[in-house]
Amino acid sequence: MSEKSLKRARLEPGRAMLLAVMAFFFLGFFLLAMKDGKWESFALSLIVPAIIFVGTAGISRLFPSDRLLLSLTNFLCALGVLVLYRLSPQRGLAQAFNYGVGVGCMILCTFLVRYIAHWKWLTGLMMLGSMGLLSLPLLIGSETNGAKNWISIAGYSMQPSEIVKLALLLCVAYLLSQRKTVWTVLFSGACLMLLMLQKDLGTALLYFCVVFVMLYAATGSLPLVIAGVIGGAGAAWAGYTLFAHVKRRVAIWLNPWADMSGAGYQIVQSLIAIVNGSFWGVGLGLGNASVIPEYYNDFIFSVILHEFGMVFGLIVLCMYLFIIIRGVMIAQRSRTVFHSLLAIGCSALIALQTFVIIGGNIKLIPLTGVTLPFISYGGTSMVASLCVIGLLQGVASRNAAGVTADRELAMYGGEQP
Amino acid sequence: MKHLQKNIRRIAILLCALFVLLASYGAYSISTYGNRWFASSANTFARAKKKDVIAGSILDRNGVVLAASENGSRVYQEDLAARKAVVHAVGDSMNNVNNSAESFFATYLYGFEMSFLERAGCALKGEARRGDTVQLTIDSRLASYVASIFPSGKAGAVVVMNYKTGEVLTEQSFPNFDPMNITSAVRSDPQKPFFNRAIQGLYTPGSTFKIVTAASALENLADIESLSFNCTGILQLGERMITDAGTNLAEGKITQHGDLNLKKAFQVSCNNTFARVALQLGDQRLRKTAEQFGFNDNFLFRDIVVENSSYPTANRNEGEIAWTGAGQSALSVSPLHMCMIASAVANQGVMMEPRMLLAATAHTGSQRAAFSTRVYKTPLTKERAAVLKDYMRAVVTSGTGAAAQLSGIKVCGKTGSAEIDTQENTNAWFVGFLDEESSPYALSIVVEDGGGGGSVAAPIARQILSWLLDHGY
Repeated sequence: MSEKSLKRARLEPGRAMLLAVMAFFFLGFFLLAMKDGKWESFALSLIVPAIIFVGTAGISRLFPSDRLLLSLTNFLCALGVLVLYRLSPQRGLAQAFNYGVGVGCMILCTFLVRYIAHWKWLTGLMMLGSMGLLSLPLLIGSETNGAKNWISIAGYSMQPSEIVKLALLLCVAYLLSQRKTVWTVLFSGACLMLLMLQKDLGTALLYFCVVFVMLYAATGSLPLVIAGVIGGAGAAWAGYTLFAHVKRRVAIWLNPWADMSGAGYQIVQSLIAIVNGSFWGVGLGLGNASVIPEYYNDFIFSVILHEFGMVFGLIVLCMYLFIIIRGVMIAQRSRTVFHSLLAIGCSALIALQTFVIIGGNIKLIPLTGVTLPFISYGGTSMVASLCVIGLLQGVASRNAAGVTADRELAMYGGEQP
Repeated sequence: MKHLQKNIRRIAILLCALFVLLASYGAYSISTYGNRWFASSANTFARAKKKDVIAGSILDRNGVVLAASENGSRVYQEDLAARKAVVHAVGDSMNNVNNSAESFFATYLYGFEMSFLERAGCALKGEARRGDTVQLTIDSRLASYVASIFPSGKAGAVVVMNYKTGEVLTEQSFPNFDPMNITSAVRSDPQKPFFNRAIQGLYTPGSTFKIVTAASALENLADIESLSFNCTGILQLGERMITDAGTNLAEGKITQHGDLNLKKAFQVSCNNTFARVALQLGDQRLRKTAEQFGFNDNFLFRDIVVENSSYPTANRNEGEIAWTGAGQSALSVSPLHMCMIASAVANQGVMMEPRMLLAATAHTGSQRAAFSTRVYKTPLTKERAAVLKDYMRAVVTSGTGAAAQLSGIKVCGKTGSAEIDTQENTNAWFVGFLDEESSPYALSIVVEDGGGGGSVAAPIARQILSWLLDHGY
């Protein structure tokens, strides 16, 4: 079987899936367009499938990539655009733009991982840059919801901690692959301190868990696990006693119904929206989930459950799970410690972030202000999430290159043709 | 590299477990609490949906229409006194009353239980959808009677239930209000007329809790029935002093009961003896019995929402434990739960789940839902239930509850005069039941700031029980 026909045969199911995803969103936006009759809606019904096409089929033309991973990611991103557009057209259009930019950045990240072989100087640079970026909100930031983690430059606001996430993944993976555990701990500790100073405890928790997972992957030592758990518990206790807004959130989590029109309003409305949706949802465009404050950001998953129902919610959850499992597989197959750690870090980041925010939505854990990857409204968050997938794709394409090399080696017995 | 792959595998399992946790917690909490969330007055979505549906009627157990939809608005019984009497059980169209039938059964009343086919049928015929008719276990006539004899101007609650089936005949809270004319005076009333004291009001049980203390003593202390106690009127424990009703140290009055056994102490409601029994039992054993009776449990009854009762779990000193035995000190319980406790004694130790919904019927006539009776807990053995029943009988024949006596009928009960904070006044309690095979009814009465349970609440109980017997119950 020639290389080309082999490739085609392998791609068939992927192509069918891509078509299904594109059709889903074409119909979704078309439905909204029939309802409101606006030209933007009709335009989106073509633009969003087009971005999906570029984001999946387009990328796999550039370099070998994991098409299942791409299709799922694009589905979730487009779902975010759809739900946001339905609730607030302005935010939906902005999110479509973010999505487009995000796909571009994703490609860029894939190229970086694919073609950069020497990370030493780059890592040093990124570590310095991260410190600088994380210090910015403390100097010129603005406070929202008790945390001071946003900066605005020339009318554009952004959350540096989202961008630093990527640097954190790359730096920690590199440092650990060089067995520089002390540096890892110092760097991530410094990042955590800066986040604590910003009072952005949700992100701090996420950083901590991701670094911890990567440390465990690299060393596998039991004392480290115990130290990490104790350290995490200690930090959580310190956060609880030091910060009033953490105490408040824990109290709301324990019993939101005690003050259901005041402090507990958000989570109560989220739970109510979920049960109103029931199994099959109230239908796209027929719900009223915008009564939940921050519905477009922290509570976007509740909106999805409300309009599409619990069954669909479970499917979305499975999509995240598949993305993570794909990520783990990429990590297992990678040829260098650095790439393996990078891939498992990326998977863990997506998994933990999803868990923390959905857990907050359904009252499993106290609510933290992290975003739902790919779906939540926000440029920085969207770009960062897609970049994480870009990093994963980079590792995947390196793995594929390795496999091809192996095959050639087997075919020609080590001699180049 | 090998190690790395093994570690990654472990991490992968952990990450997958997190997702399984998310899904299973979500499924668990929605299946357990979902109907309560849906019924919440904060559910604006359901409220908006209600506009498209003709809400079903609410009937009482005899078919009297308590609420109906007429020309798009909700109407209640014509008679003012009658509609006020059942207002907390039925609710109002604005959902001012939490967890009333109007809100908790909204899923039936507003047709949310309709199948897709039924909805499609209505849409095809161009008819408005009709919600289901809901029949409650409430008796409207009984409610009106209770409202007519409850001390006017007082706040409080009355619950009557069938202790064999758990059907609630009435659950009323005072003061009540007119659901068809909610004035600003009602909204700003400091006595909070919207608040349903029968199921949401948490009270100190006072001496009615001695049922639980006695149950614990019978279970845990051998020969407790043959022991003799000596009540000197005052029991000093650290800084706290246990005294009996009527004692006023400033005036030099001290109530003393002298030598007595457990039954006699129960009959005259001797705090001194029950304090000592509680100390002998210890906090742990007393708490265990209280929890067998449903304290500290998360009540998740199918068709009635009852506030959870609590027995303090923190470490406590002797004085507090002693007062707990007599029903004071940080205990809290709703009138409905207290009625369930009396029911358990009456029903040979078996506590039935309370029920409010008799049936929900679709407008086509097919039955949508009907719940069977269900046992909630069995806190007592038959033998101990019989002993306690005998004690409660003695309270009415020749004890503090004599005012509840009916000639020729076996009435059992327990009075309580629960101290409110440190005030002079007390909440008057009476819980009791008819020990008659053909009339298995238990009741619980609280009159806030009413005075003595024996003098205020017991006569109300007698009147209600006699009404029940006169009206074929």
